[in-house]
Amino acid sequence: MVVPVEPTLEQPSIDVELHRRLVYGDESALREAYAAYGALVRRVAVRVTHSQAAAEDVAQEVFAQLWASPYGFDARRGSLRTWLSMLAHRRAVDWVRSEARHRKDAQADDSALHAIPDAGPGPHETVVDRERSLLLHTALAELPRSQREVVHLAYFAGRTYRQAAVELGIPEGTAKTRLRSALRKLAASLADPPDPAAARGA
Amino acid sequence: MTNDHDGVRELLAAWAVGALPPADARAVPLHLADCETCAAEAERLRATVRLLDGTPGPDTGASGAPGDARDGTARAGEGRGGRERAGGGLGGADGVLASALRSRRARTPGVAPHAAPYAAAVAGLQALVRELPGRWGTPVVHDWDAHATVAHLVAADEHLAVALGVGARLPASRIPAGTPAAYAWELRTADAIAHEHARTPEETVATWAAQAADLLATPEARDPSLAARAATVMGLRLPVADHFVIRAFEAWIHADDIGRALGIAVPPPPDEHLEQLVRLAVRILGVALHDAPPVLVEVTGTAPGTGWVLGSDAEPVAAELTLDPVDFCLLVGGRYAPDEVPRGLTGDERAARNVLATAAALAWL
Repeated sequence: MVVPVEPTLEQPSIDVELHRRLVYGDESALREAYAAYGALVRRVAVRVTHSQAAAEDVAQEVFAQLWASPYGFDARRGSLRTWLSMLAHRRAVDWVRSEARHRKDAQADDSALHAIPDAGPGPHETVVDRERSLLLHTALAELPRSQREVVHLAYFAGRTYRQAAVELGIPEGTAKTRLRSALRKLAASLADPPDPAAARGA
Repeated sequence: MTNDHDGVRELLAAWAVGALPPADARAVPLHLADCETCAAEAERLRATVRLLDGTPGPDTGASGAPGDARDGTARAGEGRGGRERAGGGLGGADGVLASALRSRRARTPGVAPHAAPYAAAVAGLQALVRELPGRWGTPVVHDWDAHATVAHLVAADEHLAVALGVGARLPASRIPAGTPAAYAWELRTADAIAHEHARTPEETVATWAAQAADLLATPEARDPSLAARAATVMGLRLPVADHFVIRAFEAWIHADDIGRALGIAVPPPPDEHLEQLVRLAVRILGVALHDAPPVLVEVTGTAPGTGWVLGSDAEPVAAELTLDPVDFCLLVGGRYAPDEVPRGLTGDERAARNVLATAAALAWL
Protein backbone atom coordinates (compact mmCIF):
# COMPACT_ATOMS: atom_id res chain seq x y z
CA MET A 1 0.00 0.00 0.00
CA VAL A 2 1.16 3.50 -0.77
CA VAL A 3 0.17 6.32 1.50
CA PRO A 4 0.64 9.43 -0.61
CA VAL A 5 2.39 12.40 0.96
CA GLU A 6 0.13 14.76 -0.92
CA PRO A 7 -3.45 14.50 0.18
CA THR A 8 -5.60 12.92 -2.46
CA LEU A 9 -9.22 12.06 -2.83
CA GLU A 10 -8.33 8.39 -2.53
CA GLN A 11 -7.13 8.75 1.06
CA PRO A 12 -10.47 7.79 2.64
CA SER A 13 -10.64 4.54 0.70
CA ILE A 14 -7.01 3.78 1.60
CA ASP A 15 -7.90 4.25 5.26
CA VAL A 16 -10.99 2.09 4.88
CA GLU A 17 -8.95 -0.72 3.34
CA LEU A 18 -6.21 -0.49 5.96
CA HIS A 19 -8.80 -0.47 8.73
CA ARG A 20 -10.49 -3.53 7.23
CA ARG A 21 -7.20 -5.44 7.33
CA LEU A 22 -6.50 -4.31 10.90
CA VAL A 23 -9.94 -5.50 11.99
CA TYR A 24 -9.36 -8.91 10.44
CA GLY A 25 -6.08 -9.34 12.25
CA ASP A 26 -3.65 -8.79 9.36
CA GLU A 27 -0.28 -7.96 10.94
CA SER A 28 1.08 -6.43 7.76
CA ALA A 29 -1.60 -3.73 7.99
CA LEU A 30 -0.16 -2.64 11.33
CA ARG A 31 3.32 -2.51 9.83
CA GLU A 32 2.02 -0.31 7.02
CA ALA A 33 0.22 1.99 9.43
CA TYR A 34 3.41 2.30 11.43
CA ALA A 35 5.52 2.97 8.35
CA ALA A 36 3.09 5.67 7.23
CA TYR A 37 2.34 7.37 10.52
CA GLY A 38 5.00 6.29 13.03
CA ALA A 39 7.11 9.39 12.37
CA LEU A 40 4.12 11.70 12.82
CA VAL A 41 3.12 10.01 16.07
CA ARG A 42 6.65 10.38 17.45
CA ARG A 43 6.89 13.97 16.29
CA VAL A 44 3.68 14.88 18.09
CA ALA A 45 4.80 13.07 21.22
CA VAL A 46 8.26 14.65 21.25
CA ARG A 47 6.84 18.11 20.83
CA VAL A 48 4.66 17.65 23.89
CA THR A 49 7.00 15.63 26.10
CA HIS A 50 10.44 16.82 24.91
CA SER A 51 11.64 13.31 25.50
CA GLN A 52 12.53 10.63 22.96
CA ALA A 53 11.97 7.95 25.59
CA ALA A 54 8.49 9.26 26.36
CA ALA A 55 7.73 9.49 22.64
CA GLU A 56 8.70 5.83 22.34
CA ASP A 57 6.24 4.95 25.10
CA VAL A 58 3.52 7.04 23.49
CA ALA A 59 4.12 5.43 20.09
CA GLN A 60 3.85 2.00 21.69
CA GLU A 61 0.57 2.90 23.34
CA VAL A 62 -0.87 4.47 20.22
CA PHE A 63 -0.08 1.57 17.91
CA ALA A 64 -1.07 -1.00 20.55
CA GLN A 65 -4.44 0.72 20.77
CA LEU A 66 -4.82 0.78 17.00
CA TRP A 67 -4.07 -2.93 16.84
CA ALA A 68 -5.99 -4.09 19.91
CA SER A 69 -9.05 -1.90 19.33
CA PRO A 70 -9.20 -1.01 15.64
CA TYR A 71 -12.86 -0.10 16.03
CA GLY A 72 -11.74 2.92 18.03
CA PHE A 73 -11.02 4.41 14.60
CA ASP A 74 -14.02 5.10 12.39
CA ALA A 75 -13.18 6.11 8.84
CA ARG A 76 -16.57 7.80 8.56
CA ARG A 77 -15.47 10.35 11.16
CA GLY A 78 -12.05 11.34 9.86
CA SER A 79 -8.71 10.20 8.51
CA LEU A 80 -6.41 7.71 10.19
CA ARG A 81 -3.67 10.35 10.10
CA THR A 82 -5.61 12.83 12.22
CA TRP A 83 -6.96 10.10 14.49
CA LEU A 84 -3.48 8.77 15.28
CA SER A 85 -2.08 12.27 15.63
CA MET A 86 -4.82 13.28 18.06
CA LEU A 87 -4.48 10.04 20.02
CA ALA A 88 -0.70 10.54 20.28
CA HIS A 89 -1.22 14.08 21.47
CA ARG A 90 -3.73 13.06 24.12
CA ARG A 91 -1.42 10.31 25.38
CA ALA A 92 1.58 12.64 25.40
CA VAL A 93 -0.31 15.24 27.43
CA ASP A 94 -1.28 12.49 29.88
CA TRP A 95 2.35 11.43 30.09
CA VAL A 96 3.54 14.97 30.92
CA ARG A 97 0.81 15.39 33.51
CA SER A 98 1.74 12.22 35.26
CA GLU A 99 5.41 13.26 35.13
CA ALA A 100 4.45 16.58 36.68
CA ARG A 101 2.59 14.75 39.42
CA HIS A 102 5.63 12.63 40.16
CA ARG A 103 7.83 15.68 40.14
CA LYS A 104 5.53 17.39 42.60
CA ASP A 105 5.52 14.34 44.83
CA ALA A 106 9.28 14.39 44.74
CA GLN A 107 9.55 18.12 45.23
CA ALA A 108 11.78 17.75 48.24
CA ASP A 109 14.18 15.92 46.01
CA ASP A 110 15.97 18.68 44.17
CA SER A 111 17.48 16.29 41.69
CA ALA A 112 14.09 15.74 40.08
CA LEU A 113 14.23 19.20 38.53
CA HIS A 114 17.63 18.57 37.05
CA ALA A 115 16.40 15.33 35.62
CA ILE A 116 14.21 17.18 33.13
CA PRO A 117 15.64 16.38 29.75
CA ASP A 118 17.16 19.03 27.50
CA ALA A 119 17.21 21.70 30.22
CA GLY A 120 17.36 25.02 28.40
CA PRO A 121 17.93 28.43 30.01
CA GLY A 122 17.71 28.33 33.79
CA PRO A 123 15.96 25.52 35.62
CA HIS A 124 13.30 27.84 36.99
CA GLU A 125 12.52 29.48 33.67
CA THR A 126 12.39 26.10 32.03
CA VAL A 127 9.87 24.81 34.51
CA VAL A 128 7.64 27.85 34.06
CA ASP A 129 7.76 27.54 30.28
CA ARG A 130 7.12 23.83 30.52
CA GLU A 131 4.05 24.51 32.61
CA ARG A 132 2.78 27.08 30.15
CA SER A 133 3.46 24.71 27.29
CA LEU A 134 1.58 21.93 29.04
CA LEU A 135 -1.27 24.32 29.70
CA LEU A 136 -1.42 25.07 25.98
CA HIS A 137 -1.27 21.45 24.94
CA THR A 138 -3.98 20.62 27.46
CA ALA A 139 -6.15 23.35 25.97
CA LEU A 140 -5.39 22.05 22.49
CA ALA A 141 -6.46 18.54 23.50
CA GLU A 142 -9.78 19.97 24.65
CA LEU A 143 -10.62 21.92 21.49
CA PRO A 144 -13.66 20.75 19.53
CA ARG A 145 -12.71 17.90 17.26
CA SER A 146 -13.32 19.90 14.06
CA GLN A 147 -10.78 22.53 15.16
CA ARG A 148 -8.33 20.00 16.52
CA GLU A 149 -8.23 18.16 13.20
CA VAL A 150 -7.15 21.28 11.33
CA VAL A 151 -4.51 22.11 13.95
CA HIS A 152 -3.12 18.60 13.75
CA LEU A 153 -2.86 18.66 9.98
CA ALA A 154 -1.52 22.20 9.70
CA TYR A 155 0.75 22.19 12.71
CA PHE A 156 1.89 18.64 13.45
CA ALA A 157 1.49 16.99 10.05
CA GLY A 158 2.93 19.91 8.10
CA ARG A 159 0.03 20.48 5.74
CA THR A 160 -0.83 23.87 4.29
CA TYR A 161 -4.29 25.05 5.21
CA ARG A 162 -5.33 24.28 1.63
CA GLN A 163 -4.06 20.72 1.83
CA ALA A 164 -5.76 20.36 5.21
CA ALA A 165 -9.03 21.55 3.67
CA VAL A 166 -8.77 18.94 0.92
CA GLU A 167 -7.89 16.21 3.39
CA LEU A 168 -10.81 17.11 5.63
CA GLY A 169 -13.21 17.64 2.74
CA ILE A 170 -14.06 21.19 3.84
CA PRO A 171 -13.82 24.56 2.04
CA GLU A 172 -10.50 26.44 2.35
CA GLY A 173 -12.23 29.31 4.10
CA THR A 174 -13.57 26.94 6.73
CA ALA A 175 -10.11 25.48 7.31
CA LYS A 176 -8.67 28.98 7.78
CA THR A 177 -11.46 29.97 10.15
CA ARG A 178 -11.16 26.83 12.25
CA LEU A 179 -7.41 27.23 12.50
CA ARG A 180 -7.81 30.83 13.52
CA SER A 181 -10.51 30.11 16.11
CA ALA A 182 -8.37 27.32 17.53
CA LEU A 183 -5.21 29.39 17.81
CA ARG A 184 -7.00 32.38 19.29
CA LYS A 185 -8.57 30.13 21.87
CA LEU A 186 -5.14 28.75 22.74
CA ALA A 187 -3.66 32.24 22.99
CA ALA A 188 -6.52 33.26 25.24
CA SER A 189 -6.01 30.24 27.48
CA LEU A 190 -2.48 31.53 28.15
CA ALA A 191 -3.66 35.00 29.00
CA ASP A 192 -6.35 33.62 31.25
CA PRO A 193 -5.41 30.15 32.44
CA PRO A 194 -8.55 28.30 33.50
CA ASP A 195 -6.97 26.23 36.22
CA PRO A 196 -3.19 26.22 36.42
CA ALA A 197 -3.30 23.59 39.12
CA ALA A 198 -4.77 21.12 36.65
CA ALA A 199 -1.87 21.59 34.29
CA ARG A 200 0.58 20.92 37.09
CA GLY A 201 -1.17 17.67 37.63
CA ALA A 202 -2.54 18.59 41.05
CA MET B 1 -2.82 42.22 -1.90
CA THR B 2 -0.86 44.22 0.71
CA ASN B 3 -3.96 46.27 1.36
CA ASP B 4 -6.13 43.25 1.80
CA HIS B 5 -6.38 43.69 5.54
CA ASP B 6 -9.25 41.25 6.09
CA GLY B 7 -7.75 38.67 3.78
CA VAL B 8 -4.39 38.68 5.54
CA ARG B 9 -5.99 38.68 8.95
CA GLU B 10 -7.71 35.44 8.04
CA LEU B 11 -4.31 33.98 7.16
CA LEU B 12 -2.47 34.87 10.36
CA ALA B 13 -3.17 31.62 12.18
CA ALA B 14 -2.02 29.57 9.20
CA TRP B 15 1.03 31.84 8.98
CA ALA B 16 1.81 31.36 12.66
CA VAL B 17 1.93 27.57 12.32
CA GLY B 18 3.75 27.79 8.98
CA ALA B 19 0.84 26.41 6.97
CA LEU B 20 0.71 28.94 4.16
CA PRO B 21 1.11 28.05 0.51
CA PRO B 22 3.74 30.20 -1.28
CA ALA B 23 1.44 32.84 -2.79
CA ASP B 24 -0.18 33.62 0.54
CA ALA B 25 3.15 33.52 2.33
CA ARG B 26 4.44 36.45 0.30
CA ALA B 27 1.43 38.63 1.07
CA VAL B 28 1.60 38.37 4.84
CA PRO B 29 4.93 40.05 5.69
CA LEU B 30 4.18 42.92 3.30
CA HIS B 31 0.95 43.62 5.11
CA LEU B 32 2.39 43.17 8.58
CA ALA B 33 4.96 45.89 7.88
CA ASP B 34 2.09 48.33 7.28
CA CYS B 35 -0.50 47.25 9.83
CA GLU B 36 0.12 47.42 13.55
CA THR B 37 -3.08 45.64 14.46
CA CYS B 38 -2.22 42.64 12.35
CA ALA B 39 1.39 42.71 13.48
CA ALA B 40 0.29 42.56 17.11
CA GLU B 41 -2.12 39.71 16.40
CA ALA B 42 0.57 37.90 14.44
CA GLU B 43 3.05 38.17 17.28
CA ARG B 44 0.50 36.98 19.81
CA LEU B 45 -0.34 33.89 17.74
CA ARG B 46 3.30 33.26 16.95
CA ALA B 47 4.23 33.41 20.64
CA THR B 48 1.53 30.84 21.30
CA VAL B 49 2.92 28.54 18.63
CA ARG B 50 6.47 28.91 20.01
CA LEU B 51 5.20 27.71 23.36
CA LEU B 52 3.48 24.79 21.65
CA ASP B 53 6.81 24.07 19.97
CA GLY B 54 8.47 24.12 23.34
CA THR B 55 10.92 26.76 22.08
CA PRO B 56 9.89 29.94 23.87
CA GLY B 57 11.73 33.14 23.11
CA PRO B 58 12.14 34.87 19.78
CA ASP B 59 12.23 32.86 16.58
CA THR B 60 15.63 31.40 16.01
CA GLY B 61 14.75 30.42 12.50
CA ALA B 62 15.70 26.89 13.34
CA SER B 63 12.26 25.42 13.53
CA GLY B 64 10.12 26.31 10.57
CA ALA B 65 9.96 30.09 10.72
CA PRO B 66 6.43 30.93 9.72
CA GLY B 67 7.52 33.08 6.82
CA ASP B 68 8.72 30.02 4.99
CA ALA B 69 6.22 29.06 2.39
CA ARG B 70 5.29 25.46 2.04
CA ASP B 71 5.93 24.59 -1.54
CA GLY B 72 5.50 21.11 -2.84
CA THR B 73 8.95 19.92 -1.86
CA ALA B 74 8.90 21.46 1.59
CA ARG B 75 5.61 19.72 2.15
CA ALA B 76 7.22 16.40 1.67
CA GLY B 77 8.31 17.13 5.24
CA GLU B 78 6.33 14.32 6.73
CA GLY B 79 7.66 11.72 4.36
CA ARG B 80 11.12 13.15 4.68
CA GLY B 81 10.96 12.98 8.46
CA GLY B 82 9.84 9.40 8.22
CA ARG B 83 12.75 8.44 6.03
CA GLU B 84 15.23 10.23 8.26
CA ARG B 85 13.97 8.24 11.16
CA ALA B 86 13.89 5.06 9.18
CA GLY B 87 17.52 5.61 8.29
CA GLY B 88 18.55 6.68 11.77
CA GLY B 89 16.76 5.42 14.82
CA LEU B 90 14.73 2.53 13.58
CA GLY B 91 15.68 0.70 16.73
CA GLY B 92 12.33 1.90 18.04
CA ALA B 93 10.24 0.47 15.23
CA ASP B 94 10.64 -3.14 16.22
CA GLY B 95 9.94 -2.28 19.83
CA VAL B 96 6.78 -0.37 18.99
CA LEU B 97 5.50 -3.03 16.61
CA ALA B 98 6.42 -5.93 18.87
CA SER B 99 4.67 -4.41 21.86
CA ALA B 100 1.65 -3.40 19.78
CA LEU B 101 1.32 -6.92 18.40
CA ARG B 102 1.26 -8.30 21.93
CA SER B 103 -1.92 -6.32 22.61
CA ARG B 104 -4.09 -8.63 20.48
CA ARG B 105 -3.55 -11.94 18.75
CA ALA B 106 -3.13 -11.70 15.03
CA ARG B 107 -5.27 -14.06 13.02
CA THR B 108 -4.09 -17.61 13.34
CA PRO B 109 -1.17 -18.07 10.93
CA GLY B 110 -0.37 -21.19 9.00
CA VAL B 111 -3.88 -22.27 8.12
CA ALA B 112 -4.78 -23.51 4.64
CA PRO B 113 -6.72 -21.19 2.30
CA HIS B 114 -10.05 -22.86 3.13
CA ALA B 115 -9.64 -21.97 6.81
CA ALA B 116 -8.17 -18.48 6.29
CA PRO B 117 -11.58 -16.77 6.10
CA TYR B 118 -12.54 -18.31 9.44
CA ALA B 119 -9.23 -17.28 11.04
CA ALA B 120 -9.83 -13.71 9.84
CA ALA B 121 -13.48 -13.66 10.92
CA VAL B 122 -12.48 -14.86 14.39
CA ALA B 123 -9.89 -12.08 14.64
CA GLY B 124 -12.53 -9.61 13.46
CA LEU B 125 -15.03 -10.61 16.11
CA GLN B 126 -12.31 -10.46 18.74
CA ALA B 127 -11.66 -6.86 17.72
CA LEU B 128 -15.36 -6.10 17.91
CA VAL B 129 -15.94 -7.53 21.38
CA ARG B 130 -13.47 -4.95 22.72
CA GLU B 131 -16.22 -2.41 22.05
CA LEU B 132 -18.85 -4.35 23.99
CA PRO B 133 -18.19 -3.81 27.69
CA GLY B 134 -21.28 -2.13 29.10
CA ARG B 135 -23.30 -2.90 25.96
CA TRP B 136 -23.65 -6.68 26.12
CA GLY B 137 -27.38 -6.43 26.72
CA THR B 138 -28.00 -4.61 23.42
CA PRO B 139 -30.67 -6.43 21.37
CA VAL B 140 -29.06 -7.82 18.21
CA VAL B 141 -31.15 -10.26 16.13
CA HIS B 142 -33.99 -12.67 16.83
CA ASP B 143 -34.48 -12.29 20.57
CA TRP B 144 -30.73 -12.35 21.23
CA ASP B 145 -28.65 -9.69 22.85
CA ALA B 146 -24.93 -9.39 22.05
CA HIS B 147 -24.06 -11.93 24.75
CA ALA B 148 -26.55 -14.47 23.38
CA THR B 149 -25.23 -13.90 19.86
CA VAL B 150 -21.75 -15.00 20.93
CA ALA B 151 -23.29 -17.90 22.86
CA HIS B 152 -25.03 -18.92 19.63
CA LEU B 153 -21.67 -18.94 17.87
CA VAL B 154 -20.29 -21.29 20.52
CA ALA B 155 -23.15 -23.68 19.72
CA ALA B 156 -22.90 -23.17 15.95
CA ASP B 157 -19.14 -23.78 15.80
CA GLU B 158 -19.54 -26.77 18.09
CA HIS B 159 -21.11 -28.87 15.34
CA LEU B 160 -17.93 -28.70 13.30
CA ALA B 161 -15.84 -29.11 16.44
CA VAL B 162 -17.65 -32.38 17.19
CA ALA B 163 -17.13 -33.59 13.62
CA LEU B 164 -13.40 -32.87 13.93
CA GLY B 165 -13.07 -34.45 17.37
CA VAL B 166 -12.40 -31.21 19.20
CA GLY B 167 -13.28 -31.48 22.90
CA ALA B 168 -16.67 -30.03 23.84
CA ARG B 169 -16.80 -26.69 25.61
CA LEU B 170 -20.48 -26.76 26.52
CA PRO B 171 -22.31 -29.25 28.74
CA ALA B 172 -23.34 -32.32 26.76
CA SER B 173 -26.47 -32.07 24.69
CA ARG B 174 -29.79 -33.35 26.05
CA ILE B 175 -31.20 -33.42 22.55
CA PRO B 176 -32.46 -36.93 21.63
CA ALA B 177 -30.79 -38.61 18.69
CA GLY B 178 -32.92 -38.51 15.58
CA THR B 179 -34.20 -34.98 16.18
CA PRO B 180 -34.37 -33.24 12.79
CA ALA B 181 -31.21 -31.21 12.14
CA ALA B 182 -32.80 -27.78 11.96
CA TYR B 183 -34.73 -28.32 15.17
CA ALA B 184 -31.74 -29.80 16.98
CA TRP B 185 -29.77 -26.75 15.86
CA GLU B 186 -32.26 -24.39 17.46
CA LEU B 187 -32.43 -26.43 20.66
CA ARG B 188 -28.68 -26.50 20.98
CA THR B 189 -28.50 -22.72 20.54
CA ALA B 190 -31.22 -22.26 23.17
CA ASP B 191 -29.25 -24.55 25.54
CA ALA B 192 -26.06 -22.61 24.90
CA ILE B 193 -27.70 -19.23 25.46
CA ALA B 194 -29.30 -20.38 28.71
CA HIS B 195 -25.98 -21.79 29.86
CA GLU B 196 -23.93 -18.75 28.87
CA HIS B 197 -26.36 -16.21 30.30
CA ALA B 198 -25.51 -17.65 33.70
CA ARG B 199 -21.89 -16.71 33.03
CA THR B 200 -20.25 -13.38 32.25
CA PRO B 201 -19.94 -12.21 28.63
CA GLU B 202 -16.17 -12.36 29.05
CA GLU B 203 -16.39 -16.04 29.97
CA THR B 204 -18.58 -16.69 26.95
CA VAL B 205 -16.14 -14.90 24.67
CA ALA B 206 -13.28 -16.91 26.16
CA THR B 207 -15.18 -20.15 25.52
CA TRP B 208 -15.98 -19.15 21.95
CA ALA B 209 -12.41 -18.00 21.27
CA ALA B 210 -10.88 -21.16 22.75
CA GLN B 211 -13.11 -23.38 20.62
CA ALA B 212 -12.30 -21.31 17.53
CA ALA B 213 -8.59 -21.62 18.27
CA ASP B 214 -9.01 -25.39 18.68
CA LEU B 215 -10.78 -25.60 15.32
CA LEU B 216 -8.01 -23.62 13.66
CA ALA B 217 -5.41 -25.88 15.27
CA THR B 218 -6.91 -29.09 13.83
CA PRO B 219 -4.98 -30.87 11.09
CA GLU B 220 -8.03 -30.30 8.86
CA ALA B 221 -7.54 -26.53 9.14
CA ARG B 222 -3.98 -26.82 7.92
CA ASP B 223 -4.02 -29.63 5.42
CA PRO B 224 -6.26 -29.27 2.35
CA SER B 225 -6.13 -32.99 1.60
CA LEU B 226 -7.51 -33.84 5.05
CA ALA B 227 -10.15 -31.14 4.62
CA ALA B 228 -11.30 -32.70 1.36
CA ARG B 229 -13.17 -35.49 3.16
CA ALA B 230 -16.89 -35.00 3.47
CA ALA B 231 -18.58 -34.49 6.80
CA THR B 232 -22.25 -34.05 7.63
CA VAL B 233 -22.69 -31.08 9.88
CA MET B 234 -26.22 -30.07 10.76
CA GLY B 235 -27.68 -31.92 7.84
CA LEU B 236 -25.26 -30.51 5.25
CA ARG B 237 -22.92 -33.06 3.74
CA LEU B 238 -19.95 -31.10 2.41
CA PRO B 239 -16.17 -31.28 2.41
CA VAL B 240 -14.70 -30.15 5.72
CA ALA B 241 -13.07 -27.28 3.83
CA ASP B 242 -16.52 -25.93 2.98
CA HIS B 243 -17.65 -26.24 6.56
CA PHE B 244 -14.74 -23.97 7.54
CA VAL B 245 -15.92 -21.42 4.99
CA ILE B 246 -19.43 -21.63 6.43
CA ARG B 247 -18.03 -20.98 9.92
CA ALA B 248 -16.37 -17.83 8.55
CA PHE B 249 -19.61 -16.78 6.92
CA GLU B 250 -21.54 -17.16 10.13
CA ALA B 251 -18.95 -15.45 12.34
CA TRP B 252 -18.88 -12.46 10.00
CA ILE B 253 -22.68 -12.24 9.62
CA HIS B 254 -23.15 -12.25 13.39
CA ALA B 255 -20.34 -9.75 13.91
CA ASP B 256 -22.12 -7.59 11.37
CA ASP B 257 -25.38 -8.05 13.31
CA ILE B 258 -23.68 -6.91 16.50
CA GLY B 259 -22.06 -3.98 14.69
CA ARG B 260 -25.40 -2.82 13.29
CA ALA B 261 -26.99 -3.03 16.72
CA LEU B 262 -24.21 -0.91 18.19
CA GLY B 263 -23.86 1.55 15.29
CA ILE B 264 -20.38 0.23 14.43
CA ALA B 265 -19.54 -0.28 10.75
CA VAL B 266 -18.15 -3.81 10.48
CA PRO B 267 -16.09 -4.03 7.28
CA PRO B 268 -16.77 -6.93 4.93
CA PRO B 269 -14.21 -9.75 4.98
CA PRO B 270 -11.07 -9.25 2.86
CA ASP B 271 -11.88 -9.55 -0.86
CA GLU B 272 -10.23 -12.95 -1.33
CA HIS B 273 -12.27 -14.34 1.58
CA LEU B 274 -15.45 -12.70 0.39
CA GLU B 275 -14.96 -14.44 -2.92
CA GLN B 276 -14.69 -17.80 -1.16
CA LEU B 277 -17.95 -17.10 0.65
CA VAL B 278 -19.65 -16.10 -2.59
CA ARG B 279 -18.47 -19.20 -4.46
CA LEU B 280 -19.67 -21.57 -1.77
CA ALA B 281 -23.03 -19.80 -1.46
CA VAL B 282 -23.49 -19.97 -5.24
CA ARG B 283 -22.81 -23.71 -5.21
CA ILE B 284 -25.32 -24.35 -2.46
CA LEU B 285 -27.84 -22.09 -4.12
CA GLY B 286 -27.29 -23.91 -7.41
CA VAL B 287 -28.29 -27.20 -5.80
CA ALA B 288 -31.48 -25.65 -4.42
CA LEU B 289 -32.35 -24.24 -7.86
CA HIS B 290 -31.47 -27.30 -9.94
CA ASP B 291 -34.82 -27.47 -11.78
CA ALA B 292 -35.81 -23.78 -11.65
CA PRO B 293 -35.95 -21.53 -14.73
CA PRO B 294 -32.26 -20.72 -15.36
CA VAL B 295 -30.89 -17.30 -14.44
CA LEU B 296 -27.42 -15.91 -15.07
CA VAL B 297 -26.11 -14.58 -11.76
CA GLU B 298 -23.17 -12.19 -11.83
CA VAL B 299 -21.55 -11.15 -8.58
CA THR B 300 -19.47 -8.02 -9.08
CA GLY B 301 -15.98 -7.89 -7.67
CA THR B 302 -15.26 -11.57 -8.20
CA ALA B 303 -12.92 -12.51 -11.01
CA PRO B 304 -13.97 -10.56 -14.12
CA GLY B 305 -16.59 -12.16 -16.30
CA THR B 306 -17.52 -14.62 -13.61
CA GLY B 307 -21.13 -15.59 -13.81
CA TRP B 308 -23.08 -18.66 -12.92
CA VAL B 309 -26.13 -20.02 -14.62
CA LEU B 310 -28.32 -21.28 -11.80
CA GLY B 311 -31.28 -23.47 -12.66
CA SER B 312 -32.31 -26.08 -15.14
CA ASP B 313 -29.99 -27.05 -17.99
CA ALA B 314 -32.96 -27.79 -20.21
CA GLU B 315 -34.13 -24.24 -20.84
CA PRO B 316 -32.58 -21.04 -22.17
CA VAL B 317 -31.46 -18.40 -19.68
CA ALA B 318 -34.54 -16.44 -18.66
CA ALA B 319 -32.95 -13.53 -16.81
CA GLU B 320 -29.72 -11.94 -15.66
CA LEU B 321 -29.10 -10.81 -12.11
CA THR B 322 -26.20 -8.67 -10.93
CA LEU B 323 -25.41 -8.36 -7.25
CA ASP B 324 -22.71 -6.80 -5.12
CA PRO B 325 -20.79 -9.54 -3.25
CA VAL B 326 -21.58 -8.15 0.20
CA ASP B 327 -25.25 -7.75 -0.67
CA PHE B 328 -25.32 -11.24 -2.10
CA CYS B 329 -23.82 -12.66 1.10
CA LEU B 330 -26.23 -10.69 3.27
CA LEU B 331 -29.11 -12.03 1.17
CA VAL B 332 -27.90 -15.60 1.48
CA GLY B 333 -27.27 -15.00 5.18
CA GLY B 334 -30.91 -13.99 5.61
CA ARG B 335 -30.08 -10.32 6.26
CA TYR B 336 -31.89 -8.95 3.21
CA ALA B 337 -35.45 -9.58 2.16
CA PRO B 338 -35.46 -10.78 -1.47
CA ASP B 339 -37.29 -7.70 -2.72
CA GLU B 340 -35.01 -5.32 -0.78
CA VAL B 341 -31.57 -6.45 -1.88
CA PRO B 342 -30.00 -4.00 -4.37
CA ARG B 343 -29.68 -5.77 -7.70
CA GLY B 344 -29.41 -5.29 -11.43
CA LEU B 345 -32.01 -7.27 -13.34
CA THR B 346 -32.76 -7.88 -16.99
CA GLY B 347 -35.13 -10.43 -18.49
CA ASP B 348 -37.85 -12.40 -16.82
CA GLU B 349 -38.57 -10.85 -13.46
CA ARG B 350 -40.32 -13.89 -12.03
CA ALA B 351 -37.37 -16.16 -12.72
CA ALA B 352 -35.00 -13.64 -11.12
CA ARG B 353 -37.23 -13.18 -8.09
CA ASN B 354 -37.32 -16.93 -7.63
CA VAL B 355 -33.52 -16.95 -7.36
CA LEU B 356 -33.53 -14.16 -4.80
CA ALA B 357 -36.31 -15.75 -2.77
CA THR B 358 -34.54 -19.13 -2.77
CA ALA B 359 -31.26 -17.48 -1.74
CA ALA B 360 -32.92 -15.69 1.16
CA ALA B 361 -34.65 -18.89 2.26
CA LEU B 362 -31.56 -21.10 2.35
CA ALA B 363 -31.46 -20.64 6.11
CA TRP B 364 -28.17 -22.43 6.40
CA LEU B 365 -26.65 -20.20 9.03
